[in-house]
Amino acid sequence: MKNFKYVNTASVAEVLKVLGQEKVNSYLVAGATNAMPFIRNGKLNNKTLINIRNIEELRYIRETDKKVLIGPLTTLADLEKSEILQKFAPALVEAARNFADPTIRNSATIGGNIASASPAADTATPLLALNADVIAVSAARGERKIPTSEFFIDELITVIEVPKNTANSSSWFIKLGLRNAMAISLVNVAACVAIEDGKVSQASVALGSVAATPVRAKMVEKALVGTAFSAQDIEAAAQEVGGDISPITDVRASGEYRQEMAVVLVKRTLKRIGNLLNR
Amino acid sequence: MIKHEIEFTLNGKKRRLAIAANELLLNVIRDDMALTGTKYGCGIGECAACTVLIEGKAMLACMLLAVSVNGKSITTVEGLSQGNELSPIQQAFIDKGAVQCGFCTPGMVLASHALLTENPAPSENEIRDYLRGNHCRCTGYKAIVQAVQSCVKVPKR
Repeated sequence: MKNFKYVNTASVAEVLKVLGQEKVNSYLVAGATNAMPFIRNGKLNNKTLINIRNIEELRYIRETDKKVLIGPLTTLADLEKSEILQKFAPALVEAARNFADPTIRNSATIGGNIASASPAADTATPLLALNADVIAVSAARGERKIPTSEFFIDELITVIEVPKNTANSSSWFIKLGLRNAMAISLVNVAACVAIEDGKVSQASVALGSVAATPVRAKMVEKALVGTAFSAQDIEAAAQEVGGDISPITDVRASGEYRQEMAVVLVKRTLKRIGNLLNR
Repeated sequence: MIKHEIEFTLNGKKRRLAIAANELLLNVIRDDMALTGTKYGCGIGECAACTVLIEGKAMLACMLLAVSVNGKSITTVEGLSQGNELSPIQQAFIDKGAVQCGFCTPGMVLASHALLTENPAPSENEIRDYLRGNHCRCTGYKAIVQAVQSCVKVPKR
């Protein structure tokens, strides 16, 4: 028998109170699509499951002047259908569109996807490429901005801030899995490129499933900045990705295969951004 | 384990029960509610045989704790027909022969129903994309896709 305590919460204040009381025993669940396998394996025995699924104040996609603000309980299905994100952060929409299947996308949330801190989390890669910030709050220490995925045990994500793509910048995401549905990424790539006066002024490229955490490909980025973003420039920059990643061999693929696919996917992602920018 | 009092609407009827926090919605539907149309396939969110509609959205009953659907409205395959009259998508599965062993059928029917509610005129690609998590291991997917396509109402000019 799997045993755990269960607390339903209806507001952020209530969650913080329970987190403060239960401390290391706390386990926040929203869509529960990650938590259910853990429950089955007995990994959450004696924990306190804090259900945050119904806190409507944390489910929104809002636009400000320079950013899109995403509530952590926004589902993958919400992201997929968002016109705001389609316009200002297409990489995130593409990641949502390729996530698991529609039934899981109706449950799974963006906050859960990043908080579970899997190296294969499909929304983490585009958020990294888009230079997003995660804001979390705890009763003891108040709010803080987290550019990485280091959370404390008593914290709750309250908002994910995504800088908008502008008229001369765009972003894309490509995932390689073993099949289309319900697949864990073998490699995923997201990139965001800005062009000024015909040259790449800013480039951020991120990869998932190729290191212990999603990583930025600094060498690819360096090779891109200042170029005209031609097919040859993209080809040359993509070759640099080997220096940025350290993929392991596991049940799904070998490290060598991931290494080769990373080059191909970086190239395809950048080419797609090229197409989006030339429209 | 302590029992939690919950209430939900199942196929239009209010239900109230006391359950342990670790009860899967799937088991509550099959065992406590005695509705066995919802199938227990993989139990880990890989096959979608346990698809149900929560507030009209397709979700997996094996991935939901029953306590978490407190106050929600749930539709299972038993709730699609009006008395003896099958819903259009149920009839289409019969007409197109989109059933072999039938184990995946309730999930397929509910996911298709959700798709047609969201998007009344999906393309073949959109149908295949939407049903990508629902696994069938005997018929192949062609007849299933045809069944969904036959429910698409062509807009009159």
